[in-house]
Amino acid sequence: MTSPLLQLRGVTKSYYGQKVLADVSFEIAPGEVFGYIGPNGAGKSTTLKILAGLITTFDGEVRIAGADVKKERTRAHALIGFMPQSCGFQNWRTVESALDTLGDLSGVPAEVRARRIPALLERFDLLAARTKKVKELSGGMTQKLGLIQALLHEPRLLVLDEPLEGLDPPSRQMLKDVIRERQQAGTTVLFSSHILSDVEHIADRVGILNRGQVATTGSIRDLTSAFGLPTEIDVWFSTAPADTGFLSDPGLGVADQPKPDQWRLVLTAGADADAIIHTIVERTLAGGGRLRKIGVAEPALDDLFARYILESNRGN
Amino acid sequence: MATSPTLRLVRDELYGFARSKVMLVLWVILPAIAIVGYLLFKDNAQLNGGLGEDHQLSANTFMSLILSSLSGTIAALMVAVDIVSERQRKVYELYVIRPIRREAIIWAKFIAVFLCVTIACVVSIALGIAVDTVRGDPFNATIAFDALKALSQLTCVVGLSAAVGVLFGVISRTIVVAVLLILYGGQNLTIVPMIPTYFGVLPDQFWVFQLVSVLMIVALTWLAMVIFRRSQF
Repeated sequence: MTSPLLQLRGVTKSYYGQKVLADVSFEIAPGEVFGYIGPNGAGKSTTLKILAGLITTFDGEVRIAGADVKKERTRAHALIGFMPQSCGFQNWRTVESALDTLGDLSGVPAEVRARRIPALLERFDLLAARTKKVKELSGGMTQKLGLIQALLHEPRLLVLDEPLEGLDPPSRQMLKDVIRERQQAGTTVLFSSHILSDVEHIADRVGILNRGQVATTGSIRDLTSAFGLPTEIDVWFSTAPADTGFLSDPGLGVADQPKPDQWRLVLTAGADADAIIHTIVERTLAGGGRLRKIGVAEPALDDLFARYILESNRGN
Repeated sequence: MATSPTLRLVRDELYGFARSKVMLVLWVILPAIAIVGYLLFKDNAQLNGGLGEDHQLSANTFMSLILSSLSGTIAALMVAVDIVSERQRKVYELYVIRPIRREAIIWAKFIAVFLCVTIACVVSIALGIAVDTVRGDPFNATIAFDALKALSQLTCVVGLSAAVGVLFGVISRTIVVAVLLILYGGQNLTIVPMIPTYFGVLPDQFWVFQLVSVLMIVALTWLAMVIFRRSQF
């Protein structure tokens, strides 16, 4: 088995006696895109700051490609690219000067910086702003600059704290594309986000953090079945069949009729949605009915997240 | 060959300061005000107290006096305010996450402010010598020696003040706190090297002043580095 690129073991962090992170443990494999989600104040940013070395006093162990972030700080930092939630740059700096210095401090040789900085600026539609002062950039542009500085040294692990926050839809799409490109190039990505639909599109696996604890990690499909969240099938008839009683067959699931021409089936866990759709089509046609539309609604990350937080908070 | 992180940051800081309005004040406006002040008050009896009626305070000495009272405060405030404001704007996060020693960030600030204010002192004293020369007091070895001695003491004052500024900048979370600490605590710290002079018990006050200043600079910057190294962001 491939050894994980990132390992957190029993990471615990307290502020003034209050635990912000309690025994957080998870691993991320090389080349994986991992979404880190949780409600406000759950401890996401604290976890990412520990990885990046901004918070150095904590209990537990964090290893990046085997390098302990406490004991081998410099080696670990050379492997990681971090984009904080809000990036600050010195007021007098131009876009180019900021990136050149940060690239230099990351150990990128001058001739490589001379090639890579314009290429990245172009990729993020910032090439025209290269001589602008950073303080003149909009929030979204500064956010992109924050991502570029994290990519400059082509890190093996890219850690992004709420990277989609404050970006317009085209920029969000661009960021998602960049994450996929990096993944194809072998980079491991860990990012936190509140925009769960985006996490769902990008992440191979997610970790849900609540009240400082990671209770569950896995692929969205795994988590869906673990939580027993149902798939729903919506059926719209243009002409209802003579007998719609088959829709109430317990073998199909639990039926409901939200509108006169619409039925909703909530499938039981593990039910074969394809076979059920086939049965619906067959019985509708046999009953002289006509179908307008059939829609399958797989459980979304939002449902999963809401269910997890609700159950977790109810248990406490 | 790769530049060391500290040198790279010093170069950048110097460039940043050179482009700021503070430098315009330090390198142009401050010497200009000092010269105007000298020309206005050169005949003032109190200013020339103890020199006798036939003697006037030289522009060079006047500049040194003005700078010794101003340059330290300026250096301390410059570096402390810069550190606190950049920390508040989360500038350091992007440096701290890189594979460099955290101390390099603070060293760069200290060295840049020290050099900028020292250059301002050199400009002012040179201007004072130029004014004296124009006014008929030709430049000679004695003036050069006195100027160098004054500059050397000023350098210590600036270094000590910058070290105080670095320390208070690192421990303060707001600019107001940093400024108050410097105005009330920093001023007291910077007069410590002068204490032996006040008592007049040691044979060579100049070297004692220099030595105590250097020791204090080392101690204060070391303390600032330790605190910054342990800072949580």
